[in-house]
Amino acid sequence: MIRICCTSVGQKVLMALTGLALCGFLATHLSGNLLLFAGEEAFNTYAENLHSMGVLLKAAEVGLLATFLAHLGLAVSTTAMSRRARSRQYDEKESKQGVFALPGGGASNWMLLTGLGIGAFLVLHLVDLKFKMRPDLVYPTDGGAYATVNTVLSSPVSFAAYGVALILLGIHLSHGVRSALQSLGVSHSKWNKLIEIGSMLFAWAIALGFICVLGWVVLSS
Amino acid sequence: MSSELINLTLRVWRQSGPDSPGQFDNYQLNGVSTHMSFLEMLDVLNEQLIESGQESVAFDHDCREGICGTCSLMINGQAHGPDTATTTCQLHMRRFNDGDTVTIEPWRATAFPIVKDLVVDRSAFDRIISSGGYVSVNTGNAPDGNAIPVAGSQQEVAMDAAACIGCGACVAACKNASAMLFVSAKVSQLAILPQGQQERSERVVSMVSQMDDEGFGSCTNTSECEAACPAEISVSNIARLNREYLRASLCGRD
Repeated sequence: MIRICCTSVGQKVLMALTGLALCGFLATHLSGNLLLFAGEEAFNTYAENLHSMGVLLKAAEVGLLATFLAHLGLAVSTTAMSRRARSRQYDEKESKQGVFALPGGGASNWMLLTGLGIGAFLVLHLVDLKFKMRPDLVYPTDGGAYATVNTVLSSPVSFAAYGVALILLGIHLSHGVRSALQSLGVSHSKWNKLIEIGSMLFAWAIALGFICVLGWVVLSS
Repeated sequence: MSSELINLTLRVWRQSGPDSPGQFDNYQLNGVSTHMSFLEMLDVLNEQLIESGQESVAFDHDCREGICGTCSLMINGQAHGPDTATTTCQLHMRRFNDGDTVTIEPWRATAFPIVKDLVVDRSAFDRIISSGGYVSVNTGNAPDGNAIPVAGSQQEVAMDAAACIGCGACVAACKNASAMLFVSAKVSQLAILPQGQQERSERVVSMVSQMDDEGFGSCTNTSECEAACPAEISVSNIARLNREYLRASLCGRD
């Protein structure tokens, strides 16, 4: 096991596992957020039930933080390894692959930057809704989680930051999910196309799901 | 399609030795036949340089029929030039147009240090093979060819992996200078066959360890290697390498 942590292949496996675990969290988080569509009462009940889990919730939070930090640490480690592997860049470099969705060679070339962007957003998100310490906002004293979410997302700053971060998340996952499966060895000529399409659908379903929540809260407030 | 004879401006990386700084030099080459291969065009350039008292451009070549994996070159930013499933020696000048500027660089990777001009030292690949890319067999009489049955489908998959000519285009094209496609092909061709089972676990662990020691980068699954590979090695081999590595690490004997 220790050997796995030290080799390039092992680090990519761990990165895939932590990444997929975070995807699991995103799916859970989104399913909770979708209750905003069900109205104030449903969402507040869900939030209260979640917070009443006490020590279990704390354990999950610590686990998530550890997973996120491990994912970030592995990203820095493998990126450093790859930077060392080519000390001088090419004067000219062209891809032999087809059309790319993004300038610079597709989502795979933007993983570290999109990941860091998502990390920065996460800090803002926690300050906004976990610690409720955004200086420019007046947090409501009653109305529960529903009112708090409405207050935070109605701010133009939040709307812009959350919107950008969710697009970054979509880009990150559009390569990340498929890549994680490949790193874990999930590949079969019969299933690869399905895996590719399924990964892409999952990535954008998560990102667009959150964007829908954001848009709905902003439009309805 | 370009005309029969074309004029080119060549931007060639010149570096007198491993520790020299190196720079691009421009050469004008006129009347290049479009029927020439890229390496023949470089031969003509070198004759022109020698005749004018300059030092010829050093580049790697051997069989000139796409089998040996000796030729290399980043041509206009693409490993082995613009064609797919093609080595530099199989690239023809008809792919270029009159008046084109062609940039020629060596493979760039820390694990492939430049020896001179366009020649790089690819012995890192040899050391990876030495670390585990073999099967141990007892010497003696040649065994019967059909003594060990291998399913046709398995033979095909193993042969596809064994098509790797070890040229290093995967490393050259990868943004991380990762050697995963090469190593995965060499691991796969033996892991699939019964003859490779005896050393299956040790092989993958040693070869990955040697790959890391040589200073290659990590795999980001961009599939750029597959697109650049003249032998069309599939990235499904990389997934197999990952499986093999996990299997060896979690279930293999120490």
